[in-house]
Amino acid sequence: MSQSPFEIELDEMTLARARRGDMGAREQIYRNFQQPAYSVAFRICQCRELSRDVTQEAFITAFGKIRQFRGDAPFWGWLRRVVVNHTISALRKLPRADAVELQEFHAHTDGDHERIGLSMDLQSALSTLDGEDRAVVWLHDVEGYKHKEIAGLFGKTESFSKTRLSRARAKLRAALERRMNPTEFSKVESATR
Amino acid sequence: MQHERDPLNLGSLPLVSPLADDWPMIEAALRKQKSRKRIVTLAGSTLAIAATVFLAVGVFIYRPYGIPAGTSSSQQLQTTQVENPASSDGLQTNTLDSLIALSQQLESNLQKIRSQTGVLPTASVIYQVELEDLVTQVDEELSRRPGSVDLWSQRINLMLDLSQLYQNQLRREYHRMASL
Repeated sequence: MSQSPFEIELDEMTLARARRGDMGAREQIYRNFQQPAYSVAFRICQCRELSRDVTQEAFITAFGKIRQFRGDAPFWGWLRRVVVNHTISALRKLPRADAVELQEFHAHTDGDHERIGLSMDLQSALSTLDGEDRAVVWLHDVEGYKHKEIAGLFGKTESFSKTRLSRARAKLRAALERRMNPTEFSKVESATR
Repeated sequence: MQHERDPLNLGSLPLVSPLADDWPMIEAALRKQKSRKRIVTLAGSTLAIAATVFLAVGVFIYRPYGIPAGTSSSQQLQTTQVENPASSDGLQTNTLDSLIALSQQLESNLQKIRSQTGVLPTASVIYQVELEDLVTQVDEELSRRPGSVDLWSQRINLMLDLSQLYQNQLRREYHRMASL
């Protein structure tokens, strides 16, 4: 099973120093987790500026509450929860129209045009989803959240998560097919008009 | 298993980075938070003492039954204690009950106002986190000393600060909407 990008081991010493307020240790934590944190916010919000704000707020919250981290689960899981909570909260407060904002694609991948093309298709397909659908599919498929956990985040039932996941996947498949066979779809669209 | 969990292979999308390094901003916010925390703690303690004194004086003034006029406060206190040794405990209990009730009231008000408020600006988030952290610390201490008037007073003051923070945000949002 593929890992969540958050699954980064953090040594006890750095964590202890960060808890004592050591800025060097906190910076190290930020540098380690900045990319997965920003990525999850961006994939769900689809807005660079908002994702930046969400990531900043999440790290400020996490460092402000780091003494509350009990250490009975991995640190990355705790930090991811803080980031995801901030992301969902930002998503809820967005007006619906802003939630689906198409973004320019910035892949940091060198070479391999085919892979970049596929990533662009996936990214574009993802950006056509409603914010909640996107959050559900991303948290389930990439971050490995269970339906129960997703339901808890949104304050809804497990069936909400299951329905949203299946709807999101269907929409993504349709969007991907449209992008891969544009002529077929334009024929179908003109025939149905 | 992987195919089952991620059938569209969304996990293959690359990680993205913010276009600028945000650590200096986060560091500045954390440093500010640290110095403000000290001030809040100091102010909280002072206010807590003031609130306790105020409550205690208030209760004494309104409960002078059976005490001859012209008796000084300390004499009144002594007389009351002699006449009814249990009343000091009763007074403490009354004050404590009032503080707990007030704290619960503020907590429920805070929940309501929180659900109505939009995204807080970064500066307010820092303050909010500090206050919530202090509330957690006070709660931890309260779990060890649930009868501490001083701790309950501190909790009330922190709740009042949090309410103020959200009210300010609501006011800002109202002005922004009104200007549209």
